Order: sequence, then C-alpha cells, then structure tokens
Amino acid sequence: MAVTEVQLDEHVEHAAHDDHEHHGNFVTNYIFSQDHKVIGKQFLIAGIFWAIIGGGLSIIFRLQLGFPDMNLEWLRPLLGGWITESGKIDTEFYLALVTMHGTIMVFFVLTAGLSGTFSNFLIPLQIGARDMASGFMNMLSFWFFMLSSVIMFISLFISTGPAAGGWTIYPPLSALPQAISGSGLGMTLWLVSMVFFIASQLLGGINYISTIINLRTKGMSFTKMPLTIWAFFLTAILGLLSFPVLVAAALLLVFDRSFGTSFYLSDIFIGGEALPNSGGSPILFQHLFWFLGHPEVYIIIMPALGITSEIISTNSRKPIFGYRAMIGSLMGIGILSFVVWAHHMFVTGMSPFLGSIFMILTLIIAVPSAIKSFNYITTLWQGNIRFTSAMLFSIGLVSLFISGGVTGIFLGNSALDIFLHDTYFVVAHFHLVMGSSAFFGMVAGIYHWYPKMFGRMMDEKLGYIHFWLTFIGVYLVFFPLHYIGIAGFPRRYYSFTNFDAFSDFADLNMFVSVAAICTFGAQFIFLFNFFYSMYRGKKASLNPWDSNTLEWTTPREPGHGNWPGEIPTVYRWPYDYSKPGSESDFIPQTVPYTNTPESNLPHEAEEAKNEKV
Amino acid sequence: MEMAMNKTKESSFRMHPQKFAMWLFIVTVVMLFAALTSAYVVKQSSGVWLDFDLPFMFDITTGIVIVSSVFMHMAYLSAKRNEVSKIRIYLLLTVLTGISFLVGQLIAWQELVQEGVFFVGNPAGSFVYVLSGVHGFHLLSGVVFLLIVAVAAFKYKVHSTSLVRIEMCATYWHFLGGLWLYLYLFLTLNH
Amino acid sequence: MLNFVILVSVILIGAILVTIFRAHTLVQVVRGNKDGESLGKSNKVNAALFLVFLIGGIVLFFGYSYTQFDRYTVPVASEHGEVTFKLFWITTAVTTAAFILTHIVLFWFAYRYQHKAGNTAKFYPHNDKLELIWTVVPAIVLALLIFDGFRAWVKITDQAPDNAEVIEIMGYQYAWASRYPGADGKLGPYDYKLIDFENQMGVDFTNQFSKDDFIPREIHIPKGKPVLFKIRARDVIHSVYVPHFRLQMNAVPGMPTQFWFVPTKSTADMAEETGNPDFTYELVCNKICGKGHFAMRATIVVDEPAEYEKWKASQKSWLSKNPEYLSSLQPASPVVTEAAKEEIEEAQASL
Repeated sequence: MAVTEVQLDEHVEHAAHDDHEHHGNFVTNYIFSQDHKVIGKQFLIAGIFWAIIGGGLSIIFRLQLGFPDMNLEWLRPLLGGWITESGKIDTEFYLALVTMHGTIMVFFVLTAGLSGTFSNFLIPLQIGARDMASGFMNMLSFWFFMLSSVIMFISLFISTGPAAGGWTIYPPLSALPQAISGSGLGMTLWLVSMVFFIASQLLGGINYISTIINLRTKGMSFTKMPLTIWAFFLTAILGLLSFPVLVAAALLLVFDRSFGTSFYLSDIFIGGEALPNSGGSPILFQHLFWFLGHPEVYIIIMPALGITSEIISTNSRKPIFGYRAMIGSLMGIGILSFVVWAHHMFVTGMSPFLGSIFMILTLIIAVPSAIKSFNYITTLWQGNIRFTSAMLFSIGLVSLFISGGVTGIFLGNSALDIFLHDTYFVVAHFHLVMGSSAFFGMVAGIYHWYPKMFGRMMDEKLGYIHFWLTFIGVYLVFFPLHYIGIAGFPRRYYSFTNFDAFSDFADLNMFVSVAAICTFGAQFIFLFNFFYSMYRGKKASLNPWDSNTLEWTTPREPGHGNWPGEIPTVYRWPYDYSKPGSESDFIPQTVPYTNTPESNLPHEAEEAKNEKV
Repeated sequence: MEMAMNKTKESSFRMHPQKFAMWLFIVTVVMLFAALTSAYVVKQSSGVWLDFDLPFMFDITTGIVIVSSVFMHMAYLSAKRNEVSKIRIYLLLTVLTGISFLVGQLIAWQELVQEGVFFVGNPAGSFVYVLSGVHGFHLLSGVVFLLIVAVAAFKYKVHSTSLVRIEMCATYWHFLGGLWLYLYLFLTLNH
Repeated sequence: MLNFVILVSVILIGAILVTIFRAHTLVQVVRGNKDGESLGKSNKVNAALFLVFLIGGIVLFFGYSYTQFDRYTVPVASEHGEVTFKLFWITTAVTTAAFILTHIVLFWFAYRYQHKAGNTAKFYPHNDKLELIWTVVPAIVLALLIFDGFRAWVKITDQAPDNAEVIEIMGYQYAWASRYPGADGKLGPYDYKLIDFENQMGVDFTNQFSKDDFIPREIHIPKGKPVLFKIRARDVIHSVYVPHFRLQMNAVPGMPTQFWFVPTKSTADMAEETGNPDFTYELVCNKICGKGHFAMRATIVVDEPAEYEKWKASQKSWLSKNPEYLSSLQPASPVVTEAAKEEIEEAQASL
C-alpha cells in the first residue's frame, strides 16, 4: 500500500515509434528494462533461483525426517551453528526450514515465478499489444519483488534465524520472540519482505488487468482470447482483491509485535511473566490470513491451468473441449475461492454452524475443478497427440491435479477434517494439487514458450528424461505421505521417536526422502538444458509447434514493440485445430474467415460476410 | 503505423489506461479497509470490548473533508473552463483543507488520549487509531498527488485539453473523502 | 577427505553426462536426423510409458494399500470415531473410483491417440449434454457425501450431555496439564495473571469451587461415558490431538474451546486389540508451537468406569498437596496487581 504515486509513462506515445529498435545501453536493456519480455525473463530467472533454494531447504529437512540418526556434521559449513554438537539439525531451525520452504515456494516461486513470468511474457504477445499498459510500473513490480527477495534471503542468514512459526505465521507464536527465536528479527524481515512482495503483486496485477482490458488488438474480443489470458486475467483479479487483506492482517500483526497492541494477543503467560495484552483474538488473524490464503492457492494454480489448456490443445491438434465451460469454471473457482477460507479453521473452535456452511461451500468448489479435469481428458480423445516435453508436463499436471484434488473432498468435509487436519494427509494433498501441479504447469510453459523467449529450442530428449524422472519422482515423494497422514502423523514434527503411536513408517519416510533427493537431482537436467539451449540450442522456427495464437506471428526474437509492422488483426478463436475441410491442421487467429471458405462452420460463414480485410 | 495505432485504439475499451489503473488501485484500498472494518466487527462480537465516546473532532474533520471535495471539484471545473488562476486557487484550497483534515485527526487522537483511550490497550481503541491512521496515511499520499498537480497547474500544464492528471487526482481525492465518510459512519454506528 | 572424493565424483559424473549428451547431439547432426522421424519414435515411447506408468501405479497403489492396511489404519476408540471412520472409507471408495477411472481414461487416451502420420484429430469443440452430465453427477455425489458429513459434524459439535465428565486440558510450551473438578463436579475459575511457579494453571484457589480441584500427572477417563475436554492454552496456540479418539481441537490463548466424546475401548482393551502390551493413548500437539512441538505429549488412560471412580477418589486435591499456597498468596496478591497496573500505565505513558 506504500506505493500510491506511480507515474505512468505515456504508453501511447511510447508505442507510436515502435518499429525503429530502441538501442538502450546494457542497464536499460537487461536490468532496468521496461520491456515486458525482459521483465518476464527476469521473473523466470529469479523464480528458478528461488526454486533451487526452496527445494534445497526441503532436502535438508527430508534428510532429518528420513534418516533421523544420520550425522549431518557435513552440513556445518553451510548451516553453521544450526547443526548441534551431536551433528543434528537444531529443532528450532527445523521449523525455520519448513517455514521458509513454504514461504519461498508459495510466494516466490509459484506466485512470482509462475504468474510473474508468464503473465508478463504472454499477455502482450497473445492479445496483440506492443507492451504492458505501463512499462514503468511493470519494471517497478519486478524491482519490488527483487527487493523483497533480497530481504527474505538475508533473513536466512541472521543469527536468530529466519521466521519459524510456519508459513501461515499464526500469532501468538509469530508475535512473541520469547516463544520461538525466529519470531524476533527473522519475523520482522519476513513481514517487511512481504510488504514489498505485495506491492509488487499489486503493481503487476493492476498492469495485467488494464493491459488485457485496454490494449487488445483489433478483433481480439473476450470470446476470442486464449485461455492462458483468461487465466492470467482472473488470477490478477483474485490477487488484487485478496492481497490487500493480507496487508491488513500483517499491519495489525506489526502493531502487536512492535507497539504492544492487543489485536491478536490475549491472556498470555510466557517466559515466566504474564503479558499485559488482553481482549485480542488469535483466531481473527487466521480469518484475515486465510481470506488471502485461500485465493492465494488459486492464484498459484490458475495460471498453470491456463498454460495447460493452451499446450494440450495445441499438441492434441484439437480445439480445447468446452472453451466456455473452461472460462466459466475458472470464474466459478475464482468466486468460490473467496467464500471457503474457513475450511482451514474447522478445528479452531469456531461456531459449528459456520463450520457446516464452509463445508458445503468448500465441496461446491470441487465441481468446477472436476469440470476442468474432464475437459482436459476429452480434449485428448480422438486427438493426434504429439508428446513434446511441454505436452508431457501438461498431462502430468492433469494427473497430479486429479490425484491431489480428490483428497480435498476428505479435507473439505469438516467431520473428517477433525482427524486429518494438520497431518501428513494435508501435506500430501496440497503438494500434489497445488505445489506439484503448479510446478508442472510452470515447467510446461517454459518448454513450450522457450523458443519465443530465447529464439532457440530446448533439447527434447533431455526434456523427456526430465519429465519421467520428475513425474515418477513426485508421485513417489507425495503419494506415500497419504498413508503416513491416515496413520495420524502430525506435520511439522522434527522427529517421531517420542511417540508410541508414530513409531512406525521409518522405512516409508526414508523412501520418501530418497525419492525427494532423486527428484531434486533430476531438476538439474532441466537447469542444464535451460542454460545450455540458450546458447547452443537448435535455432527455433517461427512457429515450431504449429500453434494458432498471436505470439507465433512475431519475429523469431521479437524486438521492442513485438511486431515490426502493424499489429495483426484477429479474426477467429485460437483453437481452430484440425478443422474439417481445412488443408492444414491449424488455422492461426490472424487468418480471416473469408480466406477459409472450405472449413467455415455455418455461423462463421455468416461472420465472413461482414469481415473487412 | 499511425493507422495501426488508431485501429488498435478503436477496438478497445475507451478508458485511459492510467485512469483505469487508478480505479484498480482504489479497489485495492477498498479491500484493505473492508478487511480492517470486518476485523473490527468480528472482534467486537467476540470478547472484551471497551466503550467510549468518539472524539468530537471527528465531526469537524468530516465537515472539512466534504468542503475539501467541493474545492477539488471546483478546481476540476475551472480546469475544464480553462480558468488558470482559479485552478490554482482551488487546488491550493484543497491542499489546505486536506492538511487541516490531517491536523484535525491528530487533535482527535489527542482527545482520545485525554479520554483515556490509548493505542496500546483494548482493541476497541486501537482500531480507531488504526482505521483513522491508515486512512490518514492514504490522505497524505493524496496531498502529495495534489501538490504534484498544483505544481503542474503553475506551469500551465493543466487545462481543458490536458485533464487526465487533474481528473485522476479528483477521483482519488473524492474517493478518500468518501472513504472517511464511510469510516465515520461505520465507527459511529458500530460503537 | 571422503567429502572431497564425493564432490569430485559428482563433478566427474556430471562432466561425463554432459559429454555423452554433446556426442549424441553431434551424431544426430552428422546423420542429418530429420525431426519428423525422431518425433515418431520418441512419441511412441512416451505414449507407451504412460501405459506402463498407469499399470505400475495401480499395482503399487492397490498392493501397498492392501498389504499394509493394518500399519496405516489407526484403531478407532470413540463413538463418533466409528462414524467418521465409516465416512472416511465411504469417501475413500468414491474418490478412489474417480481417481482410478479418470487416470485410466487419461493415460489410455494419451496412448491410444498418439500422433500417427496421416491421422487427423477430430474437431470436437464442445458437447453441452456431456458437460452438463459431468457437472451434475459430481455435484450429486458430493451432495450425498456432504449430507453424511454434515450429520456427523452436527452431532460431534453438539452440546455435551449433562452427565459428561468435565476435564480441563491446558497446553503450554511444551507439555499438557489437566485439572479435574473434584467431588463438587465444578471447576473453579482461573486467570492467567495468577500463574506462577507453583500454580501453573493459574487457578483461583480462593474460590470455593477450586478447593477440591485436583491436577493429576496422568489423564484418566472412563470407558463408555461421555467426556468433555475444556481446552485452553497458556502461551501460544496448541492443538489437542488424539488420533485414536479421532479428536482434535485447537487450544487457543484467551479463547477457551471444547470437545466431547465417548471413549469405547479401555487401555487394556486396546492392548489386546493391537497386541501391544504397553499400549498407551497419547495426546499430542498438532499445531506448530515452538522447538519442543514434536515432543509435546501427554498420556491418557481409559479405565473401566468402576476403576475410574476408584482412581478419582484416590486423588488428593491440589490445595491439600500444597497447603502453604493460600497463606503465601494473601499478602502477595494485591502487590502483583499493583505492579501490573503500574506496568500498564508506564506503557501508556510511553506512547
């Protein structure tokens, strides 16, 4: 909210002299660039960096969980004092690890890395715009994100440790340094970092929405927009409505932490003294947090679903099945995501009546999600499927989305949630449906649009190996967690040796850890492929996937302004693949109906009469 | 090229992108206050709640904010009619009333302190400080925006063919005024 | 030294892999490999792998679920637990069916409709009837599941019966404390400001209802009788979680919560059922609460009702165990409140 005065640069003038290339210097071209393509790539690289950090943290705590007796002395050069004298991870640092893993993955990788990359890169290219509505705001959005990243990164290295109260930062734990040392400076940095992060998201979101609404090329009506754009559009709206609520929640938390107010604190005796706070309610924070938090998980998954729609349709050589239903279900998910937040709070002691309302609303949201899955599957039916790396990851996404989605039916049922809440069952659920799915969507998007980003192709064979290792690996990591969850194992436990009830499953935990390490290792194949292909990959053709959307009508490496001449006009929807009567199995959006009399459907033949080409 | 641009413009929605972005920003501010006020309602319904009188000063600042909006509108009208000197006068008057609103809020806080309602203490009191404080912070940003427009006005850059800036400023200012009216009514009613 | 060797070998393996990759690429370039052909071949492999994955996955899933059933199923020991246990397996049956069927279709389509030269995909943009069916069918199935869940939830969260045994459970970093109402059947009031080294639960022992309250070392509950846990926390949020009773409720500072249930199996019954003579019910913390979160445990003993009454009668009230507490309190208490007042005033002045 700190940013109120953002001077927009004059987009219209700016775009008017697009065909002569801008020759800026290195700094304006690659660092403080206002070009949406460069900003998209910046988000991508930052996202990949954070993914490695976030994944690495998870490997460290998986070592602890899978091999509780292992001597981790060799991590001392990296973790220093967080390794105890007996060569174990400090128990408090373990909590810091899970907290930071969650924070990094949810916000920095799957929100900024996914949405930031593809919304920035694809929106102008796919709707036919020279650039974002405001290049300056866009640049600011990235640099706020960068600032937030730097602060969060620094917090990993301070002596009291980073925030450790869980990524949901429930007070009083997150408000009281007496309760856990990570709630001191670490938590302060976490909050500061999030403020910049939210500013970045809001700037980005405002830009995405106004670009999509204002800058579509001629003929690009809302009903002719690719599903990717629909997904980015609705995601941006969700972000715009939910992030300010997190600001409110964080603001009150800051006052409680630093000024001694009592919004969330009441009746607390800690560290040998009774605190003066009274009248506050920790549950209030949870309501505010999850009002953001639940839409946030859809902010993560919706862009991935949009990307998948596009890739599955292109590579099945078929129109996406139920285009309108796909938009409708995205809207349904978006709206419902605001009225289900309290299903995270069934066991907080909230009124049982509210509990039942939220149970009903939560299970309704399963319907649009089911529609999406069925539509993806039907799109494959009678297709002519090419398994590009992107296509493989998209099919993987559908599989993971279903696998993780069905367990939501257990957790949304408040009677069952009493038992399953905060167990490994939940961990399995959201890592499949939101974590892995969104990650697969992101990777699929990278493979698919790499030729447009860098003008070269990624190596397909390495892509296949990467996919199969990751796909099998992800299932081997997260599927066993269901069993551990059904056995009642609580999450965020440093070890299970203190309980009779949880003495089993050491073997399964070890298996999961090994699988996690292998899957993490497999990602380096992708990294190699990514950076190697940037310089040595095969040069891409203009439209390597025979795709219909506008971005493939730009030059191999689009310059500033994207199209050297006039922006192409759009005449049809983006999914005319394998149209009966047509010679080619795809008809780009820029081909008028008048040029394709042989394949026009009756209502399109009508439209052709009114076309002015 | 010119043609292409015109075509592009023709086909799209007719709102100026900056103004549109301004509206989206206003949406985020609305959400922020929606969250804070619903937190207030939730908190009030569950737990120890302190009863106290709202400072009388809030009645006065509410009046000031309305007058300020009127000045803003006059400035906008004068810009439309190209009455350059009037634009300046009304803009400065808006700035002055804006600043006096902020001063008024500070006095209101003092009144609260004298009443024994502190920022640190029962959430009932803290909420009043937070709501008026966060609003004041936004209003301060509005004053900065006003000053920018005022400087532009002194450079003869605000007139009937260059209205975007003053329109945006007016939108924001009226919004902030309306927001305070909402908060004032909210606090008076949910007390 | 070992670390160094590992590091070097990792680097070497990486280098070898990269070399193989480069050689492979070069060979392809020399051969003048056509894109189309290689797509054909690897396309087939990928399509086939989806089938292999499907079959392998189903075999593993059912194999593990069936053979390890006893390991991952927690025996149920409460009345409402039986209900939710049944509901859990009904939901599992429905979702597993959906999960398996969609996956068979997904991977089968991927295999069946792989690219073949000369084939054309079917232009099939929508089918309203089909879409309506798969909107309505999941909606109905979900509605049925909700209905069951709703009934169970309403019953579980309903008011506890009047004859319920009331037990107070308090979570603090990192242990649980419990308090029984004693002979009068009423728990005395508490205030967090009264907490000190002796009076860990902050009970107001000057109150007449507190006089016979006792604070045992272990929680005992009677089998077959309703038990009401009154739950609170002293410092941060904790969560009372007893997997065997299918019981979970957060313990929130400043906001007391509760949960009632009827245990159906005594500790001895469970020892017999599980074949573990040392079986104990464990109450664990299930909300992140700090470094000792993973070790925050209390044991619960479920007695036969008669044994339970005997145990209860044998417990001495807290005051009788700490006879000097009240006398030490009288002069001290006003001073404490005075100090607290001063503190508040100071805080206010500093603002």
